[in-house]
Amino acid sequence: MSATRSNTLAGSADSGRTRKGVRPGQPEPGRRRPDGVTITRTLLWLACLALVVVPLGTVLALAAGGNHLALLLEGDVLEAGVNSLVSAVLSAAGAVVVGSALAILFDRTDLPGRRVFRLLALSPLLVPPFVGAIAWIGIAGPTSPVNLWWRDEFGGPLWIIYGGDGVVFLLIVHSYPIAMLVVSAALRRIPTDLEHAARIGGASALRALVNITLPLLRPALLSSFTLIAVSNLADFGIPSIIGLPERFVTLSTLVYRYIQSGTVDRPLEVVATIGAVLLVVALAALVLDLVASRRRWELDSSTSTPQRLPLGRGRVVVAVLTWTFVLTITVLPLLALLSQSLLPAPGVPLTLENLTLDNITRAVTARGTVTGATTSIMLATLAGLICGVLGLGIGTLVTRTKARDNRALHALAILPQAIPGLVIAVAWLVIAPRIGLFNTPWLILCAYITSFVALVVQAVAAPLSATPLTAEEAARASGATRLRALVDISCRMAIPAAVSGTVLVALTAVRELTLSVLLLSPGAQTLGVAIFNLQQAGSYNTASALSLIITIVGLAGLGFAARSPR
Amino acid sequence: MASVSLDSVTLRYPSGTVGLADIDLHIADGEFVALLGPSGSGKTTLLRTVAGFLTPTAGTIRIGDRTVAEAGKSVPPELRGLGMVFQQHAVWPHWNVGRNVDYPLRRSGVARRERTERVEKALTLVGLEDFARRDPATLSGGQRQRVALARALVAEPRVLLLDEALSALDEPLRDRLRIELQALTRRMGLTVLHVTHDRDEALALADRVVVLDSGRIQQIATPSEMLARPASALVARFLSDATTITGMSSADGFAAAGHPLIVQPSRLEGVRSTGSCEIAILPEDVEIAPASGSGGRDAGTRFVANEATVVSSLFGRDGNDVVLDWDGLSLRCRSRSHRPVVGERVTVSVARAIVYALAPAVATEPTLEPAQL
Repeated sequence: MSATRSNTLAGSADSGRTRKGVRPGQPEPGRRRPDGVTITRTLLWLACLALVVVPLGTVLALAAGGNHLALLLEGDVLEAGVNSLVSAVLSAAGAVVVGSALAILFDRTDLPGRRVFRLLALSPLLVPPFVGAIAWIGIAGPTSPVNLWWRDEFGGPLWIIYGGDGVVFLLIVHSYPIAMLVVSAALRRIPTDLEHAARIGGASALRALVNITLPLLRPALLSSFTLIAVSNLADFGIPSIIGLPERFVTLSTLVYRYIQSGTVDRPLEVVATIGAVLLVVALAALVLDLVASRRRWELDSSTSTPQRLPLGRGRVVVAVLTWTFVLTITVLPLLALLSQSLLPAPGVPLTLENLTLDNITRAVTARGTVTGATTSIMLATLAGLICGVLGLGIGTLVTRTKARDNRALHALAILPQAIPGLVIAVAWLVIAPRIGLFNTPWLILCAYITSFVALVVQAVAAPLSATPLTAEEAARASGATRLRALVDISCRMAIPAAVSGTVLVALTAVRELTLSVLLLSPGAQTLGVAIFNLQQAGSYNTASALSLIITIVGLAGLGFAARSPR
Repeated sequence: MASVSLDSVTLRYPSGTVGLADIDLHIADGEFVALLGPSGSGKTTLLRTVAGFLTPTAGTIRIGDRTVAEAGKSVPPELRGLGMVFQQHAVWPHWNVGRNVDYPLRRSGVARRERTERVEKALTLVGLEDFARRDPATLSGGQRQRVALARALVAEPRVLLLDEALSALDEPLRDRLRIELQALTRRMGLTVLHVTHDRDEALALADRVVVLDSGRIQQIATPSEMLARPASALVARFLSDATTITGMSSADGFAAAGHPLIVQPSRLEGVRSTGSCEIAILPEDVEIAPASGSGGRDAGTRFVANEATVVSSLFGRDGNDVVLDWDGLSLRCRSRSHRPVVGERVTVSVARAIVYALAPAVATEPTLEPAQL
């Protein structure tokens, strides 16, 4: 009996092998005919390859082929590289310190007014960095009221923002909200029981924070540091507006100069080499972050409300300091923009009779503004829609299906977020002539999509990955095909997230500068470039007026997007 | 070890919600007390108030001879000398097992050599000798809970607080840890305050059980006393799944309102008064037998006063858990001999019922109102 049994077992294994050979036409078990999901997956893969792999690969190929590496060690490039690196690292460190201090103050202490100030402290994230730079010139520029008054009193300006220190300062102002968001999210994931256990073990509230909570935040601190450092490595607006007047050249402003005025032979290849180096640095940072996040601890869900650290006697002092800081960083620049918009020229005292609406009229009616606004709105709308569709597809597919290539597809789609915008711009610039998009606005659109599709993918994937897969299984059990279950259940669930992601992309793109300024073509001016040109041409007050308008419109739009029902 | 006394402890949140209302509880030195109640009953609030994470708005809490909380003043948790185990173990993931257990000793400034000794002793106590260098991530759920217990015990706390300490574990493991926990705490003579929503666990472990509901103590009694004589219809319902029904009590016994149920006076216990009242029937006190001559489809059409239909019949270790539909009344009973099938007609007789005055049951909710005003 047992002998026959083992025989049949062995036999079945054999017959399984032979069956393939005997009936080749028959579909193998476990492998389906390509259905809707497979086709969709293939299309999305192709889109990702075209948008991410081809441009970035071309940069690497061109840089490797030309061998301009020696050029990187030349005076200009080396100096710009060091400036970029130093400002990125310093600003990232500063942003992490400021951001996590604020996150802890707002989330874990009894600071009065923490809710309002938390929102306010996030607002620099919504103001484009180059607009922030223009605004801060009004506060700490050579002809700002503060510096003029200080000069009268003490014979010299207090602090002029131009130069490397100003660049680092402004980069911090515009990136600490990211650190604050990351640290704040990490704080909420740490179960309060861990701190409670330390309290019971004899630790004071402050000591529990230092011994237990801060060490557990380390991965979040590290990952926000790399994220910010990489993105600050190649910001264009701040160094060009704040750094150049003091000859503080960074890689992005150098690349801009090379492209605008052919000061070197074969600028594309030189620029591609710079881009490739930046790309390698960004990828190295990404790998570093991934390795570090492996060591992340498994934390249980939080069971009780967090115990807020009582600030005690210092509460008032801490509160006043925090309020002053947050208001200075967030509201003061807007006020500066406002006053500059209403004054005829920089340095004119702010009195009632000096106020004028000329700047605003000029800003709104100038030809550059109108064409810039039209181009920007068109490009931003298209970018939003295309990113929305792609992001919805990719985000849904990678979270709601089981396939071996899910992780790769997801990683590829969100990779551009970890790559400086400068590299993406250079990449599209390099392949533009080969795909016939040279000197057209569509090149900018392509770069927007590459850069921003990650925003929608993340917006879609986050809520979907928290929903159990049984939702689709129930649809399959009710008779839906794989694609139908995905469309009817997963996509429907994700549409609100995709819509807010789309709005976010459109609002980011409409105020974008780094990509558009490098990919600029005749007759394809964007709004960001229009403001930048006004600023470069010396029309500071008109530039301020236009900045103010797009900031207010942008804040209103984001507020609206955040409010719309999810 | 120390006693714990709560005197008219009230905790009202700024929103007006009452977390604890007028709690009087005295736990003797070395006593094991379980706090039991449905979710939202205030049992965790009470434990966290004793721990010092919440400050009562009125009343005093004493641990040993020291007042740790009185109206608006509160000794912080770290100075109360307690040990606590949390539901999600709360073992710190960034330190190894030894460092975790060592932490309370460091905080109280114990010398290094003594610390190593005591950590090893505490780990041996919970059956984790040689685990000191292990990373908590490599431990099973039960082992982590043991680490948490060692950490709670290492500094020789005056009182051990257990916040659903066993609830996150799987059933067989929970059962084993329950046995170990009792052996350990009895041997060490620990004063324990144990919060749980598991009724069997509370009854199994505690010297006395406290039943809470809406922030109020409903009853404090030993497990056997509580099972035999629940203080209110609510406790009977919660603790023993008793069926409660209102009606009129007279010299002839109890007659349910709008229902054929009648209980003879000899079978009634509790308040002996006439008038409106409520009775609780424990599942053990309901006797069922197959209805004679009934069955089939015409069963529903023929009405017999003491016949009921079986709605569900679950098999259990100590008797089958049967739910009956008796003329609209859902009646739970535990049948030891006979396991009826669903849909079967059975005859019902009530062997014992406990009578409660009607007033408090209706009045319990309004009493919270004056406190909120």
